[in-house]
Amino acid sequence: MIKILTACGAGVNSSHQIKDALEKEMSNRGYDVQCEAVMVKDVNDEMLSKYDIFAPIAQTDAAKNTNMPIVDCGPILYRIPAMAVPVYDAMEAAIKKLKK
Amino acid sequence: MEKRSGALMNTVNELFSEDCVFVSSQSTKETVVKEVGTKLLQKNLVTNEFVEQVLEREKSYPTGIDLKVLQTGLPNVAVPHTEAVYVKTRMIVPIKLTAPMRFYNMIDPQQSMDVCFLFMILNNQADEQANVLAAIMDFITQTDAAEMKQFFALNDTAKIYAFLTEKFKILKS
Repeated sequence: MIKILTACGAGVNSSHQIKDALEKEMSNRGYDVQCEAVMVKDVNDEMLSKYDIFAPIAQTDAAKNTNMPIVDCGPILYRIPAMAVPVYDAMEAAIKKLKK
Repeated sequence: MEKRSGALMNTVNELFSEDCVFVSSQSTKETVVKEVGTKLLQKNLVTNEFVEQVLEREKSYPTGIDLKVLQTGLPNVAVPHTEAVYVKTRMIVPIKLTAPMRFYNMIDPQQSMDVCFLFMILNNQADEQANVLAAIMDFITQTDAAEMKQFFALNDTAKIYAFLTEKFKILKS
């Protein structure tokens, strides 16, 4: 299972939308993915160590101390395939590099 | 009720309230959030800390949504909101701005933009079934662009409310 951490400012709307979208699309692409959605201010190195990929809605330095792959997922929020597909492709590439 | 990913549990009429639609002539996000937030507090829809928390969140995690990328001529909007603990209900508060107001981009916080409409989100439930933001984005991107331009030009709260109750759709999974 691939564990992804997504985060936004309030931890209520944006990050849960990303969580839902990633789990659905990555499953459609054949990957076993589990996402958690949190507030960016709660993200720390210990929390990040439990996940394989960090997927914030916007660039943040919350993961600056780690080497984990980061995929900015903000464009998914528009709910338009033309904007979401490049993000999904980047996420799939990151998953493949994990070799899990 | 069986859980459906992405499905809103409210009806459209529960997401909007005719007495919680506003047209504001304020010129900054600080003054408009305070103006509307004070009224929401009087209606017991938010906590005492709501206004302060919305503005604090906006500084670090802005909520501007750049609609220019859609290339449909729509003006930009913002979706100010804060953590569930400062809110007592789940609804959307539409706020038409009579003058453009500066917000920063939610997915590119260094970028600022002029915004003409706010969908203030009150969401006291942090789970995927309560995805009010997704419903707003679907409303904006799936309603006919010409009709959306007319909507954004409205300055009458009753007409804004009528348009939303007619056009805003419940999410389907």
